Amino acid sequence: METESTLSLERAHQLADQHALIERARRGDASAHRALYDTHVERIYRLTFRLTGVEHLARELTQDTFVRAFGAIDGFRGDSAFGTWLHTIAVSVTLNELKRRKREGARNAPLEDALTVTQSAPYSDPLLREKLMKAVNDLPEGCRAVFMMHDSEGLTHQEIAAALGVTEGTSKAQLARARGKLRIALAEFAEEWKP
Amino acid sequence: MNDENMKPKAESRGPRADYDFGEDADVVPPSDPQFDAWIEKVAPTLNAPNAAPRAKMWDAIQAAQKTASEAQAGRVPGVTPLRRGHWRLMSVIAAALLLGVAIDRVVLRQVDAPPAPVASAPLASADSSDPSRLYRMAAAQTLTQAEALLTAYRASKVADNNPVAARQLGSWGREVLSRTRLLLDSPAGDDPRLRPLLSDLELVLVQIIQLSGAPLEAGDRELIDRALQDRDLLPRIRSAVPAGVAGSASDD
Repeated sequence: METESTLSLERAHQLADQHALIERARRGDASAHRALYDTHVERIYRLTFRLTGVEHLARELTQDTFVRAFGAIDGFRGDSAFGTWLHTIAVSVTLNELKRRKREGARNAPLEDALTVTQSAPYSDPLLREKLMKAVNDLPEGCRAVFMMHDSEGLTHQEIAAALGVTEGTSKAQLARARGKLRIALAEFAEEWKP
Repeated sequence: MNDENMKPKAESRGPRADYDFGEDADVVPPSDPQFDAWIEKVAPTLNAPNAAPRAKMWDAIQAAQKTASEAQAGRVPGVTPLRRGHWRLMSVIAAALLLGVAIDRVVLRQVDAPPAPVASAPLASADSSDPSRLYRMAAAQTLTQAEALLTAYRASKVADNNPVAARQLGSWGREVLSRTRLLLDSPAGDDPRLRPLLSDLELVLVQIIQLSGAPLEAGDRELIDRALQDRDLLPRIRSAVPAGVAGSASDD
């Protein structure tokens, strides 16, 4: 009980601090912009990197997210946490960019080349690695975003729903779809997950 | 499975796009706990991020903010400071003028033209005076000009060492910038597809104008080239204005 009230008090202080910081940022206080940037940049960069897999693109999209957020901060009503609002902008900016690149085709490196797998992957078959990358890239854009945000980046369905502007139910259903599609695409490697 | 849960819903939570969930968005296969556990272990190895280059990104953010605020404050030579209130009024006047011209043309066309079949007359009239169509026409014309300007900029090796050519480019840039800002403050600027393009164009134009008072040095050109490349401006303009659209729009 004591812990709960201490936690909620702490949370209240955090919210008040964030409110004050955003107010200062609205008035154009550069140090408030910097503080907001420092607080959120890591998560935004991780998210854009997860969704693109390209370092320079993740960097540009992160920058774009913050420039847009600071430019539109007057429109931030505070209905959600600032971090959630930033996620919404980041996802929108990133998926639009990926959509545009896909449309424009070969001028930029296709996403297939961008998806990378670290050396610590818990399997050794290079064919599986290749098939997995292809299967993830073949997922519909929204479905792929939900999968990467949840299973790769560890966001909750609540966070994903807020960022994509969908319901939590949609987020859960899309994750199930993504996993189902991947399972079908990787069926020949079933011994990897069967005991 | 409830269909309501399967389709993305529009919620007023700030900027969002319509994401593609695939044609079979409402088909959810049964889950396999063993596969789910395996994929949860594997997924974090996909696109595992490196450390965020914080300082580099912060510098770029500050540079972008500085350019935007200097243009806004009128500290960029030759760029008129933007007064959103006045601009809004001007855009309303411009829109009224455009509408007036369009209505006038439609009326004149109806008077001059031989009697048309009854069924087709209301359709033609409604189409020609549709305000959103007029804004699209204006946007197409401005983007066509912007494309020509940016193409000229990229091709203008002569401007590197020629202050006169650089000044001409700057003066052309100011003209296109005025039109771009007018559009940004018009209903065309509310178009979610057009607004980011116009905003990016505004920033690049300001950079071109900012550097047009003197011969462009290699570093200056690199800055603009990078902005053009990073924002993919020319391909985006070309895809927003398919060949012939601006011409045919103005001929209507």
